[in-house]
Amino acid sequence: MPPTDLEPARMNRKKGDKGFESPRPYKLTHQVVCINNINFQRKSVVGFVELTIFPTVANLNRIKLNSKQCRIYRVRINDLEAAFIYNDPTLEVCHNESKQRNLNYFSNAYAAAVSAVDPDAGNGELCIKVPSELWKHVDELKVLKIHINFSLDQPKGGLHFVVPNVEGSMAERGAHVFSCGYQNSTRFWFPCVDSYSELCTWKLEFTVDAAMVAVSNGDLVETVYTHDMRKKTFHYMLTIPTAASNISLAIGPFEILVDPYMHEVTHFCLPQLLPLLKHTTSYLHEVFEFYEEILTCRYPYSCFKTVFIDEAYVEVAAYASMSIFSTNLLHSAMIIDETPLTRRCLAQSLAQQFFGCFISRMSWSDEWVLKGISGYIYGLWMKKTFGVNEYRHWIKEELDKIVAYELKTGGVLLHPIFGGGKEKDKYVYYPEVFNKLLSLASTASSQKFQSHMWSQMLVSTYGFLKSISNVSGKDIQPLIKQWVDQSGVVKFYGSFAFNRKRNVLELEIKQDYTSPGTQKYVGPLKVTVQELDGSFNHTLQIEENSLKHDIPCHSKSRRNKKKKIPLMNGEEVDMDLSAMDADSPLLWIRIDPDMSVLRKVEFEQADFMWQYQLRYERDVVAQQESILALEKFPTPASRLALTDILEQEQCFYRVRMSACFCLAKIANSMVSTWTGPPAMKSLFTRMFCCKTCPNIVKTNNFMSFQSYFLQKTMPVAMALLRDVHNLCPKEVLTFILDLIKYNDNRKNKFSDNYYRAEMIDALANSVTPAVSVNNEVRTLDNLNPDVRLILEEITRFLNMEKLLPSYRHTITVSCLRAIRVLQKNGHVPSDPALFKSYAEYGHFVDIRIAALEAVVDYTKVDRSYEELQWLLNMIQNDPVPYVRHKILNMLTKNPPFTKNMESPLCNEALVDQLWKLMNSGTSHDWRLRCGAVDLYFTLFGLSRPSCLPLPELGLVLNLKEKKAVLNPTIIPEVIAGSQEATMNPSSHAQLVGFQNPFSSSQDEEEIDMDTVHDSQAFISHHLNMLERPSTPGLSKYRPASSRPTIIPQHPSGCDGTPSTKPQWNMEFSRKGTGREQSPLEMSMHPAAATPLSVFTKESTSSKHSDHHHHHHHEHKKKKKKHKHKHKHKHKHDSKEKDKEPFTFSSPASGRSIHSPSLSD
Amino acid sequence: MADTAATAGAGSSGTRSGSKQSTNPADNYHLARRRTLQVVVSSLLTEAGFESAEKASVETLTEMLQSYISEIGRSAKSYCEHTARTQPTLSDIVVTLVEMGFNVDTLPAYAKRSQRMVITAPPVTNQPVTPKALTAGQNRPHPPHIPSHFPEFPDPHTYIKTPTYREPVSDYQVLREKAASQRRDVERALTRFMAKTGKTQSLFKDDVSTFPLIAARPFTIPYLTALLPSELEMQQMEETDSSEQDEQTDTENLSLHISTDDSGAEKENASVLQQNPALSGSRNGEENIIDNPYLRPVKKPKIRRKKSLS
Repeated sequence: MPPTDLEPARMNRKKGDKGFESPRPYKLTHQVVCINNINFQRKSVVGFVELTIFPTVANLNRIKLNSKQCRIYRVRINDLEAAFIYNDPTLEVCHNESKQRNLNYFSNAYAAAVSAVDPDAGNGELCIKVPSELWKHVDELKVLKIHINFSLDQPKGGLHFVVPNVEGSMAERGAHVFSCGYQNSTRFWFPCVDSYSELCTWKLEFTVDAAMVAVSNGDLVETVYTHDMRKKTFHYMLTIPTAASNISLAIGPFEILVDPYMHEVTHFCLPQLLPLLKHTTSYLHEVFEFYEEILTCRYPYSCFKTVFIDEAYVEVAAYASMSIFSTNLLHSAMIIDETPLTRRCLAQSLAQQFFGCFISRMSWSDEWVLKGISGYIYGLWMKKTFGVNEYRHWIKEELDKIVAYELKTGGVLLHPIFGGGKEKDKYVYYPEVFNKLLSLASTASSQKFQSHMWSQMLVSTYGFLKSISNVSGKDIQPLIKQWVDQSGVVKFYGSFAFNRKRNVLELEIKQDYTSPGTQKYVGPLKVTVQELDGSFNHTLQIEENSLKHDIPCHSKSRRNKKKKIPLMNGEEVDMDLSAMDADSPLLWIRIDPDMSVLRKVEFEQADFMWQYQLRYERDVVAQQESILALEKFPTPASRLALTDILEQEQCFYRVRMSACFCLAKIANSMVSTWTGPPAMKSLFTRMFCCKTCPNIVKTNNFMSFQSYFLQKTMPVAMALLRDVHNLCPKEVLTFILDLIKYNDNRKNKFSDNYYRAEMIDALANSVTPAVSVNNEVRTLDNLNPDVRLILEEITRFLNMEKLLPSYRHTITVSCLRAIRVLQKNGHVPSDPALFKSYAEYGHFVDIRIAALEAVVDYTKVDRSYEELQWLLNMIQNDPVPYVRHKILNMLTKNPPFTKNMESPLCNEALVDQLWKLMNSGTSHDWRLRCGAVDLYFTLFGLSRPSCLPLPELGLVLNLKEKKAVLNPTIIPEVIAGSQEATMNPSSHAQLVGFQNPFSSSQDEEEIDMDTVHDSQAFISHHLNMLERPSTPGLSKYRPASSRPTIIPQHPSGCDGTPSTKPQWNMEFSRKGTGREQSPLEMSMHPAAATPLSVFTKESTSSKHSDHHHHHHHEHKKKKKKHKHKHKHKHKHDSKEKDKEPFTFSSPASGRSIHSPSLSD
Repeated sequence: MADTAATAGAGSSGTRSGSKQSTNPADNYHLARRRTLQVVVSSLLTEAGFESAEKASVETLTEMLQSYISEIGRSAKSYCEHTARTQPTLSDIVVTLVEMGFNVDTLPAYAKRSQRMVITAPPVTNQPVTPKALTAGQNRPHPPHIPSHFPEFPDPHTYIKTPTYREPVSDYQVLREKAASQRRDVERALTRFMAKTGKTQSLFKDDVSTFPLIAARPFTIPYLTALLPSELEMQQMEETDSSEQDEQTDTENLSLHISTDDSGAEKENASVLQQNPALSGSRNGEENIIDNPYLRPVKKPKIRRKKSLS
C-alpha cells in the first residue's frame, strides 16, 4: 500500500467525524493493543490497550467501551487514574429468581441486555469516568488517551486455546491460540469499541515464546527479542482504518510459507503440515489476480496472511489482511473432493477481504450489501474457475435453499429499515444487481467505484444503491423494492394450453402469496419457449390480476418435415419428434430461466416435454429441473432419457449424478414392469468395469473427475433400488460388495478414500428394515445373511482405518453412519456406546460430529434421558466450540421431542437446564446462545413449556407489564416498554400469520422522535426492535431501580448480538454456498439446506412486522420525520458537497432514502 | 551240516521277526547275531545233557557268552592297537585269553571233542543299503582334455539347467480375484490380530468376537493422522507421480518451525539449520529475492525500544 493511502484514510476519518453521525460522543482514531504475556498452560493473557479518542461533545464525562470476560485492572486517561464500572448484562440475561420460562420473555430481556452494551448505540460494558481534572481538556475537544490494563483468564470465547496434552514445550506440542467468534466478538479478548462502523488505525504488539509466531493484522514492522532472549515481540501496524471487529490474532509454533508467487502473502500452518500447506495455497495467487482484475483495483492491504489452525470456530474467518482457516481444509495433491471446497473457502475469504474487511458497513442492516458483493464476486470467480455450469448450478442450489428456507420459516428481511429482503437471496438476486453495475460500468466508472472504496470505507445500503445508479445509470429501485424491502419468495404455478386455431400458447401463471414466506411478484418475467423452429424468449408482465398470457407461436406444427431444430445457443440438433404432440410445435417451456426472480416454479408440462428438455436443453438448471419433474413420470421413455443423459460424456457431471438418483426412483416406481438388469448396472459395467470380466471393476483411475464423481455416485443411487418386496435386490448388493472387493487403488494418482466412503454409504443405502418377530432381541444368530456381509465390510473398513487412516477419516465417518443405519433398521441392537466413544474429545472433528449425530438420533429414537444429559453435558463442557455448537444444531434439527409432542424426556429439570444454558451458560459465545435458544424453541415453543406447572397470575403479568411500561416517570423505560407493548399484538399475531404488522405504533413513533436524538439512533433503534419479538417484561422481575443501570438511556441501537440471529442464518447460507456438495453430501449435511431454527423465524417475522410498522409510519409520518431528520442532515450534506459524486453518500443521508430531503 | 534246516529256520524266523519289529538294517543285524548266540548256547546245553532250559536261563547264558566274546574282542583290539596295528592277529587273541585266565592249551582238544554240534554259519543278513543317489540321465564322459583319473562328472541334474514352464496365470479375472482376496485376507488377518491383542468394541452384547471392532482411541493431535497421507499413500504417490517434491524431511521434525529461519545466525537458528539443511537451504536461496517480514532476522532488544517503534 502506498503511503499516501494513509491520507485519504485520515481524510475519511475526518469526514466521518462530520458526516457519519457516530452514536458515540467521541471519535476513535487509533488503538494500541499490547499483549505482553500469553500463558498456554494456564490459558491466560495479560496486556493493555490504549485508545486515542477525540471527544466530539464538550461535556463528555463518561466513555463507554466494549469488553467482555476481561478482567480490567486499571484505567488511566492521559495518565490520570480513572474510575470505571464494568457491567456485562448479557452474562445472565434473565435473573435467577425469575420463574418465567417463555421465550418471548427471554428474547426481550436479551435484546434489552444487548442493546444496553451495544456500541452502535454508544453503549458498552465498560463505563469509564473521565477524571475531573480533564474536564476542561475535554471541553476543548482535545485528544484523550485511554490506557486500560487487562487480563484474560481461561477465556471461554473470543480467544481459543488449543493445547495438546503431550510431552514437550508448548511449541513442540503444537499449542496455539487464535481469536474467533461470531461477527463482532473482539470485545471478548480486549477492550475496544466492538463495532463495524468505528474505524481506526492500529498498533498491535504481541510478546510470545521465541519458538512461536504471532500473526495479526497489518504489516509486521519488526520482531524483537525480549531482554532475556526467550521471547519475541511482534510489532504490527495497521494503517488502514479498521473496525475492531476485524482485528484478529493467531499465535502458535507455525510453519511459515511465503507464497512463491506473491511474496507479500504469507501462509502459516501447524507443525508437520507444511507440505499440505504448500499444495493447498498454491492456487491462491490466481484468485488474487482474478479479483484484482475484476475489480480493477489492487488488493487493499499491503500484505495478506492465511493461518490454518486446529479446532476452528468456523471454516473461514476473514479479518483485516488476514484470514483464519480450519486446518482441516489443508489437503495433499492426492485428494480430489476437498480441493474445490478448499479453493472456494480461500476465494470466499479473499472476497471478504475487499468487502467486509476493507470496506466495512455502517450498520447491521447494511450487512447484506457486503455479504452480497463479496458473495457476488466470489460467484464470478467460481464461474471463471469451475465454469458456467457449476456457477449456474450453484445459483440454482442457493435459490432452492432460500426458497426452501423461507417457505419453511417465513421470509427473511435483508434490510429491515430500508426495506426487507432475504438474507440469502442476495446471492441470487445480487448477481443481478451487481452484474448491472459491473457490466454497465465503463472502466472509468469502475475506477470511480474504486475510489469510493478508498475514500469511504463504510458502506450502507443507500450509499450502495446510489453508487449503482451513479455508475450504471440504472435505476434498480423496483428490484430493491421487491427484494430488499420485502421478505419472502415468489411461488409460481404454471400451466399451459396450446390453442391450435390461433397458434397461440396460452400460459397461465398463478402465484401463491398467502402462505408464509411468500410474496406477490409484480413485474417482468422471462419465459423461454422452445419450438420446432427455434427457441424464443418472451417477457411477460406479471400484474395483479392477469393470470393468462397469450404467447404467439412462431412455428406451425409439422411432423413429417425432417429438419434440424435450432436451440437457444444456436446449436442445431436432430431430434426424434415422434414422442411429441402432433398438433403442437412446442417442445418445452421454461419460466424465468435466468433465475432472476427469487422463486419456486411449479410448472406443468407433458412428460415428453420434460424429456426433450432434459435431452436437448443446454442449460444445466433446466436439465436439473426436468430431472426433478421426471420423477413423477415413471415410464420407459423417462428411463431412456435419463439413461442417455447418464451416458453422455459432455453432459455436466452434476446433472448426471442427479439423473442417477432420479433413475433409481423411477425404477422403484416401475418395479413391476422393469425389464433387464437393475437400473444403472449395465451402464456402470460398461463405463467402469473390465471389458473381459464385467463383474470386476477396473483398477481405479480418477484422472477424469467427471467420471470419478459419477463412479462414486452410481452405486450409491443403485443401492436405493428396491424389488417388489421392497428389499434391495440381491444382485445390487452383490454388485456393490464386488466393487468393494475388487477396488484396487495401487495405480491411482489420487486417494480413493472418498470413493470407498461412498461405497460404504451405498451399503448403508441398501439396508432395509429388519423383519422382526415379536420384537426379539437382536443377536448374531438371527442376523440376516446380507447384513452379515455388510457388517463384515464395515468391520474391516473401520478396523483398517485404525491402521491406515484415510484423509479426514471419511471412511470412519461413513462406517459410523452405516452402523447407525443398521441399528435403526433393527439389524443390530441399538446402542449408543460405540458412538459415544467416537464422540470423545481427541477424535478428528468429522468423526466426532458423525458420532454425535448418531447419538442425537439415538436420543430421539430411544427417548433416552441419559444420552440427552450426556449431550447437554458436552454442550457445556466440550473444549471445541464448533462441536458444542454442532450438537445444539443437530439436536434442533433432529429434536428428541417437539413442542406438540408428549415425551418422557420433557420435564421441568430439562427446562431449567436448557434455560440456564441459554440464560447464563452460553454468554461467551453468541452463536452458542442462539443455538440454545433455537433448541429451546424447538422443544418447547415460544410460550411456557407445557411440562411446567402453570404460573400463578400469568395473565396479570402482561397487564401489569403494560402498566409499568406506560409509566411515564422513567422515560427510557417508557420507550422500550411502549414499543414492546405495541409490538406485543403483532408478534403474537404472527404466530398465526405475521401479516398483521400494523399495530398502534403511532405513539411509538412519537415517543421515538422525541427522545431519540439523531437519525442514526433512530434507525438503529428500529433495527434493534426487530430483534425483540415481543415483550412481557423486564420490569416485573427486575427491580425497577436496578433497571436503568442495566439498560441505560434508550435501549436503541443494534449490536452484534441481536443481529446474531439473522446473521447466523447468513452464516449458514455462506457455509452452504462455500461448499460444493454432491447430491449425496447434500443429503448428509442437511444443515446447509435447512439450517434455521424456527425461532429465528419468529424473530425475523417479528422483525418483518416491525419493519412494516416502520414503513407505515414512514409514509404516514413522512413530514414529521423529515423535519426531524432535516436538522441533522443539513449540516452533513453541506459538508459533503465537495465529495465526488460517486462516493457513497454519507451515512446520514443514507438513512433518509425515503425522504425527499436527501436532495437538500 | 545236518542242522542247517533248523538253524536256517531259526535264522529266517529271526530275520522275519526282526523285520517285523524294526525295519532298521542295523537292528536286524544285531538281532540275528543274538539269535545265533542263543543257538550256540542251546547247543552247548544240549551237549551238556540238558533236555530243556528256561528261557530266562538261556537268556542269561547268552548274555554271559556275549559279554565274554565282547570282552575278548575288546581286549584283543586293545592289544593289537597297542602294537600299532589295526587288525588283531592270533597272538593278540591268545594273549587276551591268557590274560582272561583261560587255558589256551585246552582249546584245540575242546574243539575236537566228539560230541560237539556243528552250527551252520548264520545267514548273511542283507547289509543295510545306502540308498543310491538319484541319477538322472547318463553321467557325461570326460572330454578329451581331462585326464581319465579325474573324478567323474556329477549327475547331470546337479549342473544342467532344465527350465520348466508352468503356464503363467494370464487370466485377468483370476489375477484380480487373487489380488483382491489376498489383500482382503491380509487385511482381515491383520485387523483381527489387532482386535485380539487390543481393546475392542462390539455391536452385539452377546458376541464380542464375530465382528470385533478395534476400540476407538483418541489422539492428542487428531488432525495429523487425519490430514497427513499415510506412508502407504506417500509411497503410492511417489510411484505414480515422481514429480511431487519431497517434503518428508520437515514433516518428520516436530519441533521444527522456521519462524526465525534466516541467516541471521542466532543460536537457535543455527540449530534449525542443522536440523534441516535442505529446507533452510532452499529458503535461503529464495531469500535473496524475497523480502517478507516473517523471514527477517529477529532484532536484538534495544534499550529504548519505544523510540524506534513510533
